[in-house]
Parts: sequence; C-alpha cells; structure tokens
Amino acid sequence: MSNFVDLFWSSTIDGLTIGSIYALVALGYTLVYGVLRLINFAHSEIFMIGTFASVGTISLFGLSGPASGLTLVLVLFCTAAAGMAASGASAVVLERVAYRRLRTRGSSRLAALISAIGASLFLQEVFALRWSNGELHASGRDYVNSERVLEKTELFSIGDGIVRNDKLLVFVAAILMMIVLDRFVNRTRLGRGIRATAQDSESAVLMGVNINRVVVLTFLIGGAMAGLAGALYVVYFDQTRYIIGFVLGIKAFTAAVLGGIGNLRGALLGGLTIGLVENYGASIWGAEWKDVITFSILVLVLLFRPNGILGEALGRSKA
Amino acid sequence: MLLEIDDISVYYGKIAALKGVTVAVDEGEIVALIGANGAGKTTTLKTISGLRSVAKGAVRLAGRDITNVPGHERVALGLCQAPEGRGIFPGLTVLENLHMGSYIRKGDVSADVERVFSLFPRLKERQKQAGGTLSGGEQQMLAIGRALMAQPKVLLLDEPSMGLAPKIIQQIFEIIQEINEQGVTVLLVEQNAAQALALAHRAYVLETGRVVRSATGRELLNDPSVRAAYLGGDISH
Ligand SMILES: Nc1ncnc2c1ncn2[C@@H]1O[C@H](COP(=O)(O)OP(=O)(O)OP(=O)(O)O)[C@@H](O)[C@H]1O
Ligand SMILES: [Mg+2]
Repeated sequence: MSNFVDLFWSSTIDGLTIGSIYALVALGYTLVYGVLRLINFAHSEIFMIGTFASVGTISLFGLSGPASGLTLVLVLFCTAAAGMAASGASAVVLERVAYRRLRTRGSSRLAALISAIGASLFLQEVFALRWSNGELHASGRDYVNSERVLEKTELFSIGDGIVRNDKLLVFVAAILMMIVLDRFVNRTRLGRGIRATAQDSESAVLMGVNINRVVVLTFLIGGAMAGLAGALYVVYFDQTRYIIGFVLGIKAFTAAVLGGIGNLRGALLGGLTIGLVENYGASIWGAEWKDVITFSILVLVLLFRPNGILGEALGRSKA
Repeated sequence: MLLEIDDISVYYGKIAALKGVTVAVDEGEIVALIGANGAGKTTTLKTISGLRSVAKGAVRLAGRDITNVPGHERVALGLCQAPEGRGIFPGLTVLENLHMGSYIRKGDVSADVERVFSLFPRLKERQKQAGGTLSGGEQQMLAIGRALMAQPKVLLLDEPSMGLAPKIIQQIFEIIQEINEQGVTVLLVEQNAAQALALAHRAYVLETGRVVRSATGRELLNDPSVRAAYLGGDISH
C-alpha cells in the first residue's frame, strides 16, 4: 500500500492520460451501440488505422528531431487530421461492407458479431503486410516506431507527480474534442436526429430522418474520435503495431460498458475511471497486472451492473 | 383524391395483414378507419408512411405514385403520422420532440411551435421536460403537435384516444376537428368508434385485412350491424 501512496499523483496523471485515450475510443462503441444496438468489435482496428495514418503523416514531414513552435503546431494538426480522416473513412467503409447488408436483411446480432470479428482479423493482417523483394509478406509483426514530434518536457508537478507536456496535450485534446462532440449531439439538428434515432428509429423515420444517413454519420464520428485517439497515442508513445487496437479496444469497450453503453458522458467517465484504476492497481501490484485489473472490472460490471454507472442509452439521459 | 390507397396487400412473413385494401381521402376531409384488434388499421397507416412495403397495390398522394418512395422522403411530400403508442422520443425534451417534427424543414419554425402551444397550452408549460416523463394524454398531444410541425397535407393519427380518460379524449377530438378546420386533411384510426364516426366525414370498416363497409360517418353510426360490432351493441344514442 505504501507504493500506492507514494505513487498516487504520478498514477493519477498517467491514469488520466491513458484514460482519455480510452474514453475517445469508447465513444465509438457507445455511439454505434446507441443507434444500432450493435457492438462494433472491429472498432479497435479503426483505432489502429488511425495510429498508422498518424505515423505515416509524421514521417512525411521528415523531421530531423522534435519540432517546436509553428512547425510543431502544424505537424500535430496534420497528424490529428490525418488520423481522424483515415479512421473516420475506414469506419464508414466498414459499415458499408461488414454491417449494412446484414442490417437491411434483419439478420441476427450474432451474424453482425461474426462479421465484426472477421473484419477485425482482416484489417490486422492487412496492416501486418510488408513489401519486400517485390513481394508481399505478412511479416510486419513488430512495433513500427514513429519519429518523435514533441520534445517531452516536464511542465510542473502535483505532489510527487510530474506533469509532462505530452500527457497534458493528450488529456486536453481529448477533453476538448469530447466537449465539441457533446455539443454537437445535444445542440444541433443532426445531433438531435442521432438521439431520436437511438431512442425510437421508427418514429424517427416518420419525422423524415434518413436512418442510413444517421448510421453513416454515427460511424464517421465514432471513427474520427478513434482516429484522434490514434494520433494522440502516437504522439504519446511514438510507436504502433498491427495489433495495437486489440487490448486497447477491449479496455475502451470496458470503459463504454462501465459508463453505461450508449451514454456519451458515460464513455468519458468510464475511460478515465479505467485509466485511473489500472494505474493505481499497478502501483500496488505492479504494471504487469494492469490488463488483469481492467478485464476483472469488465467481468464484474457485466455481472453486477450491466447498465453501467450512468446507465441508460444515448440521449435517454436528460443531458 | 388527395390520398389513395389502391388495393394494397401487405404481408408479415407468410401471413397477410392486408388483403387488397382500398381507401381514399379527399382534400379537407376527416376519414376514419375503424375495426377490431388486429384488423390491419395500424398496418395500413404504416404502409402509407412507408414503414411497410406492399406486395401488391399502390399508394398515391395527390396523383403521384409514392409506393416505392422511402418512408423518410414521404414527410416532405406532405404525410406525417402520430403513430400508435405515440412514439415520443423519451429522452428529448418536449421542445426537442417538436423540433423533430420539423426536422426536414429549413428556416424558422418558431411560429409553428407557437401554433402547437396555442392548440396545446399544456405543452408550453412543459417544454423543457423530457418527453418520457409526460402523462399519456400529454404525450398524445405532443405526438399530434409534433406531426403538425411537419406542416403535413395529410395528418395520419393512429388511435389518438388510446389509454386516455374520457375527458381528455373529448379534448383531443375537439382539437382534431380544429386542426381539420384549419385546412389539414385527417386520416384517423380509432377503436373508439362512436366518437370517430361522429367526427369523420366518411369512414371505412376494416375486418381481418379487408374493407367491409364504407359510408359517411353518420350512416355508419346509425347502422345496426356496425353498432352491434363496434359500438358496444344497441345503446341508444
Ligand atoms: N410486426 C409484425 N409481425 C407479424 N405480424 C404482425 C406485425 N404487426 C402486425 N401483425 C399482424 O398483422 C395483423 C394486423 O395488425 P395491425 O397492427 O395492423 O392491427 P390493428 O388493426 O392496428 O389492431 P389494433 O386495434 O390492436 O391496434 C394482426 O394480425 C397482427 O398480428
Ligand atoms: Mg393498431
């Protein structure tokens, strides 16, 4: 326990940083579930695509070292934009290819789940492909390192915890994006259409809502959020891998379930909670227990509080 | 005829819910569709709104064949429905629910909101309340008000009196009349046959997926067989 006390502030800072990445990814699970009652298990690969797009974009700049000033802002902006665009577009294609036909034919949920797992494995393997000696090989199993964009410097400390600029950036960017999304969903006409569809899709059609368009929009937004998470992940860890989405995806899914799947603010709460709990746990039992802790939470939540902390589906909460 | 349902058949799997139903509604009319449980009234309205597809027959609006127009596009053509069970968006506020009614419209709708509030003052008091927390009667008012927000040519109402106290039913029917007098054509589905027939210009009786009678509301109201079947026997009027 003494470690818990000693490391409390640094665990808190690390937990909020990784937790905000979980939260951004969790939004995609929650949005799609809210509208379609479908768990998009290929969403973790949408995140993975965002990390690769970010690594690629950073390499285009051919930086010789960490950037600063306006260059830094430009590189960060382009990386985020590329991650969001790549992931958003992939999510839209995924919906078209893997889900739409099943949905319009009224297939079972199990069919959609199997389709999701298939799409997931396919995307992982595609990103493990490498070109060498004029041939494709599925050999890209190692980490792909990214050039470091941001010189990691210590800004200030809270207790014994040191706040570094990259961690602060990840946290602030994630929170800002979630505020924007929350406003979009709660204050705009299209956002109202999404909430209405989530609550009663047949009534929404009677009001003139094009459900297919709402579904595409939902995948696009959820994908873009995962893409931003991918960009932030790369800025934070400077690397990615074909299977990077797997564990992170399950954690983000846990966050979505914990906060109440279908509930946007729940995704934020769930993400930050998972981030904090796994880091506090790691300070007590060691870092190798992080995944165990998160997955135990998933099992416990599913057993005892399947509606999550905040419960209720998208927009059904009066937010 | 403004709205024509021409010999439509609709199936759920292999079971026919509608077996060649023909209904016509003229501009400015209130037309009632009555019939027992499971007769196919709701299916008829859902088909008009494009939520069910037809195996046979056609739906026409102002002479245009809309049988294959997707449901969401029919709102812009002038059809809006307050569905059975009201279909309120429970987590949206009263005002947001009304704004969903004008989802497809561009521009300022505040005048329409005011019009709905003047028809249903109760909604104005509760405009910030979540739709799901309204009473049944208030939800019905909201469902009708929301449909009016689309400025429909034809308003489709599926059992607006369902589950309401007699006093509220009276009020709702008076408002339907008022809406009709303001120029909206109404197709009204009702179990509450006596009041629907008293209100309607014309009416159709539906039985297991077929139209078995059609006449003016008054005629049906005084018809002994209709009285026996739908008006609880021979209660003197
Ligand atoms: N989704 C469905 N799946 C299968 N059968 C259905 C479905 N909806 C309606 N039916 C069947 O179609 C027939 C007509 O139903 P419909 O709901 O149109 O009746 P209704 O006249 O509106 O009855 P009520 O007065 O009880 O509302 C019924 O036999 C019903 O069981
Ligand atoms: Mg019905």
